Amino acid sequence: MARLKACPDTNRTHTTRVSGATQGRNAISHTNRNFVLAYVFLVALPILGLVGILKRGRSLSAPFSVDGAWKIEPGNLPASACGNFLTSVSNAPLSISQSGQSLVVTLSGGTKTTTGTLEGKTIKAQFTGASDTGQCGDGALTLAATLDPMAEPRTLSGTLSVEGCASSSCAPMEFRAVRQPRSAGGTR
Amino acid sequence: MRAHGISRGKAAAERGGHALMPNLFILVLQVAVVLTACRLTGTLFKKFQQPRVVGEMFAGIMLGPSFLGWIAPHFSAYLFPASSLGFLNALSQIGVIIFMFLVGMNINPKELAKEGHAAVLSSHVSITAPFVLAAFLALYLYPRLSDDSVAFSSFALFMGAAMSITAFPVLARILQERKMMHSRLGTVAIACAAVDDVTGWIILAYIVVLIRSAHSTTSIWVTLGGIIVFAVVMIYGVQRLLQGVFLKAYEKWGHLSENRMAFMMLLVLASALCTERLGIHLLFGAFLMGAIMPKEPVFVRYVLDRFETITVTLLLPLFFAFTGLRTNIALVKGPTMWMYCGLIILVATAGKLGGSTIAARFSGMPLREAAGLGTLMNARGLMELVILDVGLDIGVISPALFSMMVVMALVTTFMTTPVLNLICPKEYLEASGEKMSVESVSAQTPSLQETGVA
Repeated sequence: MARLKACPDTNRTHTTRVSGATQGRNAISHTNRNFVLAYVFLVALPILGLVGILKRGRSLSAPFSVDGAWKIEPGNLPASACGNFLTSVSNAPLSISQSGQSLVVTLSGGTKTTTGTLEGKTIKAQFTGASDTGQCGDGALTLAATLDPMAEPRTLSGTLSVEGCASSSCAPMEFRAVRQPRSAGGTR
Repeated sequence: MRAHGISRGKAAAERGGHALMPNLFILVLQVAVVLTACRLTGTLFKKFQQPRVVGEMFAGIMLGPSFLGWIAPHFSAYLFPASSLGFLNALSQIGVIIFMFLVGMNINPKELAKEGHAAVLSSHVSITAPFVLAAFLALYLYPRLSDDSVAFSSFALFMGAAMSITAFPVLARILQERKMMHSRLGTVAIACAAVDDVTGWIILAYIVVLIRSAHSTTSIWVTLGGIIVFAVVMIYGVQRLLQGVFLKAYEKWGHLSENRMAFMMLLVLASALCTERLGIHLLFGAFLMGAIMPKEPVFVRYVLDRFETITVTLLLPLFFAFTGLRTNIALVKGPTMWMYCGLIILVATAGKLGGSTIAARFSGMPLREAAGLGTLMNARGLMELVILDVGLDIGVISPALFSMMVVMALVTTFMTTPVLNLICPKEYLEASGEKMSVESVSAQTPSLQETGVA
């Protein structure tokens, strides 16, 4: 640029070049301005929006957590086919896998699995054909329990019953279940 | 055969050793079945111009309760008994640790600086757009698919991180197949994907710390302080050591001795153990060790060649299978659940594809190229599965949401090649001078992308 200034013959070129340089600077500054504007609109503002969403989300409530393994403490039952069946079922932990209000409930160490629901504090699940001994009606096992969300660890209290059982000794079995501690690294 | 397996299992249980010793017959059988399924499906998908990894992800899901467990529950229970899954998981996690190290090795922070405004804006928008949209979707999904043991902020941040991740290796593989690695579109896409993945992993680390600190006696500030100190030591201390121990030795002898390779692996494991001990996750340490390794292309390629064959052909398929075993499409039951799944796919695509396209267009890229960039960034692949696995492990997402997100990962990865063919056909790339010579590509492309892990 200095050399161009020193040469009078190139004045026109100089002007042109200076003008070109100015245009270049303008173009760069225009690009920078566009970049800054785009950055503000596409990055900064959405991040502010994210902060708002996180604040708004604090007021949301999700269903109570019932996910995990529960140790069943069965109530007393008279010795009968159904009583023995219900006692054997409740000997192994109750396992619940939760996705919102939808549950996958497992009994008897994984041999009996079904889907269930959580409505408020109430859990309902039915295992069709759970009793294969033929001594307990059609063998549909129903689990109904209520959660105590304030207890630490959380507890369930409810009944296990067999549907369609003709025997008078086949009364529903009351139980209480205590949620087992979760590992620090993995909760599901 | 079944009786044999059961009797051995029972015998082990009787000895009280079932928790310590795997049933080797079942374990080897599992590995054989998984390898066969992944190879066959991967080859089949390649015939449809899909990266092999999409087929392998698909094979993993087919081996799980969504298909094999559904059509042949007894065989599935025999092949994948619950007691054996711990060993399968351990093997697969070792594969993922090495894979994350290789991904870290492929990431070169200097790439972004070279690409200027287009890459800076596109990469940042390709994170913020899907992140914010995912957080917005979380407002709707949290009361429906989560529970009160998970704070909304953790849920929303995880959804954001999971949706803003990009399958860096898949993307590189597609670019390489289309000979676009060193085109403007290719270099911007690679730079953006690298930034996305690093950011995604940092956010995920924060979420893991938040959740684990709730179950830990250590204060979150102690954990965060430890992580910062660890990162500073790695970046400013260990990185220099690596130059001397590995790069200079390689430059001097043209190869690394077995002792040095073993030392490198040891460093990866030590770094992984440090991050696990600090309360984040093994994978972060492995990734960080890869990221601070010397970035000389020839050296990177040499190391990748040494590690990836076993990782890609043996260990990662086990990860796909393990992920597939945890994915139960049956949990996505009924029109409402499928609507949630559709919403997740829509938001993920709109945020990533839409956000990246708009940002690239703002940066002055032609519309087709901008849309091509958005399409590439929308591929999530294996990286998504790794993140989802961490999310399920720490309990921030429920099993049904996990399955929906796996479907989203499959759909977004699967759609990449056909949509790219539609938006940026080869004729267009050739006309616009985007196509690169085969020689220049093959000379510089790291081999992680050649193997299909991509």
